[in-house]
Amino acid sequence: MASVLSLHNISKRYGSIQALNDVSFEVPEGSVFGILGPNGSGKTTMLSIILDILRPNTGNFSWFGVLGGSPDCRKMVGSLLETPNFYHYLSAVDNLNITQAISGRGTAVDIDAALEIVNLTQRKKSKFSTYSLGMKQRLAIAAAFLGNPKVLVLDEPTNGLDPVGIAEIRRLIKELAARGVTIIMASHLLDEVEKVCTHVAILKKGDLLTAGAVDEVLVNEDIVELSASDIDLLENVLKDYPLKTNLKKEENMLQLFFPVGTANLENINQFCFEKGVTLNMLLHKKKSLETKFLELTSATNN
Amino acid sequence: MLQLLKIEWLKIKKYPTFWWMLGIVALTYPGINYMFHHVYESVIGRKDMAGNVAKFLLGNPFAFPDAWHSVAYFSSFFVIVPALLIIMLVSNEYTYKTSRQNIIDGWSRNQFINAKIIDVTIISLIVTISYTIVAAIFGFYYSDTVRVTRWAEELQYIPLFFLQTFAYLSWAFLLAFLLRRAFIALGIFIFYSLIIENIIKGYFKFREWGIREYLPFEISNRLLPMPNFLGKLNEASNDAYKKSLIDVNWHVLYTLILTSAIWWLCYYLNKKRDL
Repeated sequence: MASVLSLHNISKRYGSIQALNDVSFEVPEGSVFGILGPNGSGKTTMLSIILDILRPNTGNFSWFGVLGGSPDCRKMVGSLLETPNFYHYLSAVDNLNITQAISGRGTAVDIDAALEIVNLTQRKKSKFSTYSLGMKQRLAIAAAFLGNPKVLVLDEPTNGLDPVGIAEIRRLIKELAARGVTIIMASHLLDEVEKVCTHVAILKKGDLLTAGAVDEVLVNEDIVELSASDIDLLENVLKDYPLKTNLKKEENMLQLFFPVGTANLENINQFCFEKGVTLNMLLHKKKSLETKFLELTSATNN
Repeated sequence: MLQLLKIEWLKIKKYPTFWWMLGIVALTYPGINYMFHHVYESVIGRKDMAGNVAKFLLGNPFAFPDAWHSVAYFSSFFVIVPALLIIMLVSNEYTYKTSRQNIIDGWSRNQFINAKIIDVTIISLIVTISYTIVAAIFGFYYSDTVRVTRWAEELQYIPLFFLQTFAYLSWAFLLAFLLRRAFIALGIFIFYSLIIENIIKGYFKFREWGIREYLPFEISNRLLPMPNFLGKLNEASNDAYKKSLIDVNWHVLYTLILTSAIWWLCYYLNKKRDL
């Protein structure tokens, strides 16, 4: 798959703070690419660099194969960066007219349609300064979606939205992804990324910890959880089970760890039964993004 | 370019400060000129020799063709009004981060400055048109039948007024662009142009240093020399006045150079710095 965006060894410093440190990765066409990281990890700095708002100290990037991007590349990218940026004395429609005039994306009809999608039709003639935080965010989303851009860059898109709004945006993102739009989304909400993303990059204090397809990043071992009425006996029995990398005892269950793709539930079940233990629970657990995220971000603390 | 103009007009036409500026210009330009017309009348109204000499030598400075010059000079006092508008327009772009959004949406960094040059040009043109209308009205009102036929003699003051306004507004833009805060930029603009530079100018004049002609605002101030009737009405002051008219040509050149340098700096910084 061709890359929509590639970053090569991007570093950025603010005085003594290293905001980004030698970050490189590729965003494949058609992917939903989540950029994860705690507050202050460099997510917004990175997005600002690829949108030509900030200059990197070293390194470079390409949009659609064009080194450093270009204004024409940015016109194909619908972006919401950090906060909704609009002319406070203009209405939603007037603000989108400016977005439309600069980017060349969309028509007057598209502007109405975009406002309808984000539920701002009733307030479309009101000044931006009279909007609530959630409404401002929704207008920013409408501006990013205006005129079907090839790529969306969304920085914390659900900021300030209520639960219904969050669900709507999530649905919208999935819809657009299904239509082949590439979506690059920064978030500190793991749940959000986990639900919609196909790829993920994890940043911490400016360092890229990992990047790749969600399945590859999240699963680096298989975990099998199992339990029996006599948990001590089960533990004894499983000590002899081959191939496992680790065995952990939780409160009333055991966790068996295997290298990726080697856990075989049938074999485990049969093994226990032959040793005289009947299982009352057996399940293959995918590691949640949260676990993985905490593991990755705390591992480098030392 | 036309596309940039269209976009800037979308931003300006619904900005209340813009219409306030127009309103204030529409009131102050006739107002200040009317006031100085009074000053002139009180000069020639003097019963002594000087009054008679003035009347004889000068003629009415608000009749054609002098009206173009006098009205330009007095109206230019209020350059602070369009300067305020430019500072507000630019600092708003930074306060509300729309300067970033314009780039994100697909402008190049140079296009942002191009658009601001268009703003400064539009505002300078509007102010120049206001001046032209006021000068024409004064000219026709105060000209006798002989003077009125000379209406086209000093039309060069229209482009000179435009150039001076453009030069002042370019400084206003630079300050707002560098400082990004409306009140600080406006404060420095007013404090420097009205007070600091005059103090420096006064000191240089006292020391008889010619360099006072080349201070940032003085360079373009000299495009519109002080009208004669405000001077001392003696021979020396008359000679100085004549010299100042001849020097205008040089100051056109200096102003063009300085203003180009200001915009070049804006392009350069905008390319380099983080937005």
